[in-house]
Amino acid sequence: MSAGMLVFRLGDLSVRMRWKALLANTGLAALLLVLAGWALTVGSRAIDVQSVVRWMVFHDLGATDALILGDFRAPRICLAMLAGAMLALAGAVTQYQTRNGLADPSLLGVREGASLFIVALLLVSPAMPLALRPVVGLAGGLAAGLAVALVSRGASPLKFVMTGFGISWCLSSMLVILLASADLTSLQSALLWLAGSLQAADWQSVRIAAVILVFAGSVIFWLARHTELDDMGEAVATVLGTARSGPRRSTLMCAVLLVAGSVSVVGGLGFVGLIAPHIARFLPRQSLRGQLVASMMIGALLVLAADTLGRTIFAPVTLPAGISLAAIGAPLLVLLLWLRRDRTEDLR
Amino acid sequence: MTPVQGAGGGAHKASLTLALGFVAVLFGLHVLQGPRNVPLETFPALLFDRSPASFDQFVILHLRLPRILAVVMAGACLGAAGFLLQTAMRNRLGEPHILGLNAGASLAVVVLTAFPLIPLPVAAKPFAASLGAFLLFGAVLALSAGGRDRFSPVRVIFFGIALSAMANALVSAILILDEDTLEQLRFWLLGDSAGVQMSAIAAAAPTVVIGLVGAALVMPRLAALSLGDNLARGLGASVKRTRLIALLMAALLSGSAVSLIGPIGFVGLVAPALWPRLHNKPSVAALLLVTLSGAGLLLAADSLAAGILAPRELPTGALTGLVGAPVFIWLVLRTLR
Repeated sequence: MSAGMLVFRLGDLSVRMRWKALLANTGLAALLLVLAGWALTVGSRAIDVQSVVRWMVFHDLGATDALILGDFRAPRICLAMLAGAMLALAGAVTQYQTRNGLADPSLLGVREGASLFIVALLLVSPAMPLALRPVVGLAGGLAAGLAVALVSRGASPLKFVMTGFGISWCLSSMLVILLASADLTSLQSALLWLAGSLQAADWQSVRIAAVILVFAGSVIFWLARHTELDDMGEAVATVLGTARSGPRRSTLMCAVLLVAGSVSVVGGLGFVGLIAPHIARFLPRQSLRGQLVASMMIGALLVLAADTLGRTIFAPVTLPAGISLAAIGAPLLVLLLWLRRDRTEDLR
Repeated sequence: MTPVQGAGGGAHKASLTLALGFVAVLFGLHVLQGPRNVPLETFPALLFDRSPASFDQFVILHLRLPRILAVVMAGACLGAAGFLLQTAMRNRLGEPHILGLNAGASLAVVVLTAFPLIPLPVAAKPFAASLGAFLLFGAVLALSAGGRDRFSPVRVIFFGIALSAMANALVSAILILDEDTLEQLRFWLLGDSAGVQMSAIAAAAPTVVIGLVGAALVMPRLAALSLGDNLARGLGASVKRTRLIALLMAALLSGSAVSLIGPIGFVGLVAPALWPRLHNKPSVAALLLVTLSGAGLLLAADSLAAGILAPRELPTGALTGLVGAPVFIWLVLRTLR
């Protein structure tokens, strides 16, 4: 039983891990750190590694470089990683919970619902405080998620996904109509935000994203035991004593909250929630919590890589992260679907 | 079987008259609609007493007629393309927007506008758009052909969505990097019919005619296909070639529609769904009916888009999406397992 397992004990508590999985996750974390460090050095003004280290450790660096690093690059990088982790966690837990490899709240209308509500509010009152956006976005995301769940109630996983597509098309049409009927002046900020841009990243949005991720993440990880039992089938889960619908509902609510939160700080970023969990499945087998952690790190990697490439490849023009992410993510998704084409749980 | 089909023919006639009547009424309403009130006397004058000095005549001839013609042509193309895709793939959810043809056509147009390698005549735009549609849809088909469950509706739709997203990301990237192209194509990309010129209509006319005639010619073979691949082979139809021709025609038709008024979704889904009895019963009459319905639907959507918030115009593509997406959901719930 404990072959290939590591056991950590602390008093009465103990954690078991497969060492291969631990190794894989550590590798991912290291990769993420390296990428973040590299992202700090590149940009319209190149800052070499030594200066970055000096800034981090000794806090003594020329005022310009310190400003660039501290006020522009660092918050942007943090926000990219947070948004990626949020979307990936939401996608991973939804895919696991609904046992549907294509379920991803940001694909199934939740993202569009949140965007729709936030844009409506932006157009009504452009001066809305940033912290209010996640609340409004959550309302919109929940409304969209509920609509999908209600319409496809009792239907097969396949109908569920397709209904989600339909609802998200409908909502994005509403969004276009809303934007077309708005005044040009209030349109500017809405459009900038919609494209999934990290350009406006500051520490305040980082704080908002971090709070949401920590809150929703802890709920999801706390309920992970129930989610895992759920996966064994309803009968087993009931016999083993997990409540039927409460934990499931809270988990899915948290997934919606994560998507709404990321939408409200960085706008529309597609594909992360769908592909990160699938990439995580190529790693050595691990528990649900391990899978979730790995997915989060892969999501963070994806968004950070997309954003950094987007702001460096065509410099001085910056591609919004949403666009570079789609350019990276869509081929990855196609590749994944191709590689796993005979795993029926994905496409049926 | 025979009496039912006879009755179907009669019903077709009634439906065709109905659809034609609708298109005519919508056409008339759309001509009269607009910020300027054009008196009815202008219309006989247009026929018998043409005068370049009359502003009313100018409005009708150069502003409203091109727009309405473009909308009718695009709607007809989209309806026919949807019907072709649905019957050739036996998939009621087939539609140029969902399966990626629209995205491929837009990408082709945007690439040609942004990187004019060779000075391309206006007349070549519909062909280029059709080629883009065909290439992207070909990729979708190639990807969904592997493994078990080949060409299952879900798989085709999923690859269509993924590749559309990729093409759209490329389009956005090009537009962000190249502001001139953005200015030229901004409204067109949302599916916008205002400002269509007669030259664009003339350029699209050949592909539209080829596509519609080709679709009509392939209908009998598609009818054989609808009996099942094996039976069709027994009847002497070449299954692969029939499918290829049908999909080529669908690409031509959606390419012409996109080159006329931009990527517009769901007309090709709703037009055949209006006539549930046509499902998997391809015939020339059915094609005609669906083509007319597509034209009528897009006319209605365009008229609404121009009228709801007048003087402000909404993008026509947004309205078709708003109506079409619920129809998609309804079809999903009815047809999928």
